[in-house]
Amino acid sequence: MIKKLKNCFIVILFYCFFTSSIALGQTPSSTASSSPTVVVDKDIQQLKDKIANKVSEIRKQNNKAISGFVLKIDGNSMKLSNSGEVNQVKFDDTLTKVFKVLGTTKKEIKTGDIEKNDYAIVSGVVADNIITANVVLIDENFLVDSGKITEINKEAYNIKVLTSDKNTYSLDIETGTKQYMVNIKTLLKETVGFSKLKEGDTVHFVVKKTGNPPADEKNNNYSALKIMIIPQEYFIK
Amino acid sequence: MKKETIIAVFLGLLFGGIVAVFISLKSKDIELSTNKVIAPPKENVLSPNLTGTEIQSLELSEPANNAIFDNDIIRFKGTAAKESLIIIQSPIKDLTFKNIQEKFDLEFPLALGENSIKIVVYPKEKQFRPQEKFIKVYYIDSEL
Repeated sequence: MIKKLKNCFIVILFYCFFTSSIALGQTPSSTASSSPTVVVDKDIQQLKDKIANKVSEIRKQNNKAISGFVLKIDGNSMKLSNSGEVNQVKFDDTLTKVFKVLGTTKKEIKTGDIEKNDYAIVSGVVADNIITANVVLIDENFLVDSGKITEINKEAYNIKVLTSDKNTYSLDIETGTKQYMVNIKTLLKETVGFSKLKEGDTVHFVVKKTGNPPADEKNNNYSALKIMIIPQEYFIK
Repeated sequence: MKKETIIAVFLGLLFGGIVAVFISLKSKDIELSTNKVIAPPKENVLSPNLTGTEIQSLELSEPANNAIFDNDIIRFKGTAAKESLIIIQSPIKDLTFKNIQEKFDLEFPLALGENSIKIVVYPKEKQFRPQEKFIKVYYIDSEL
């Protein structure tokens, strides 16, 4: 019995010795083999980052934005017209995303939803005068300008404005038109009514332009979205 | 006629001529010294030109026309005439301020997509014409 116990003890001792020596032997070898891998991984990651940065830099350099009214659209391209300039836009099935801007929000749509005379803003890479669209935004086109009030029609709530480039605009002041005036003392803008407008005042205005303008718009007659008046007294004081 | 008479007449004419020339020269000098200049003084003539060169023209260093941003707030940096009234207008924002220093640097919000922005400077000296700049910048969200 004692002999049996002795043998058992020796077996346990051998077992412990072997398992501990294996464990001890493995630890240094594992650290020795993992450290070069970590260094290589780090180098690869740095290289990857550098390439990614360079690619994004080149993309940024070539990335341009254009805008215009849609003249023509087919399956994978469209033509935009802006002040007589025509630009060709190519869609990429995997890359191009199209959104409709609705005030402060946007809704994703398909290229097939784009219609003629829509106002499109395209961002993408230009090559050979063709822009490959990354993003297409369908939005509204705004005209921002300023000039002197030359005529006020108090019955029709309309003003005529002569701009510095000698264009005359006829602006309808609607109930929804935001009307502001610069306080000549504080230089802060204040909300005013139509009755405060005078011939000779300077006006800054924002109007919405459409791709297929009605007859009124062709005659430079717009409904004003926003006007800001600098009273002539500011220039006299 | 006697010889003496002829000499006397000749000398009289000669002397008279000399006196006449002397008097006319002297009177010209007196006239020039007593006359007043009607033309404006030199400094007044030069001043409009000087003030014309002195006015700081509107220079916009940021943002560049047709620039693309992935942020909805940008900075307007540039120089304009001191004490002038500056108006920066876009469809979503109107900014009016007095340019205390020549340099200005201020925040301006952008709407998603295209932003048509007009900048007008009204100089304090009202005889100068307003200066204008028109730019288009784009805000394209990087997440799109």
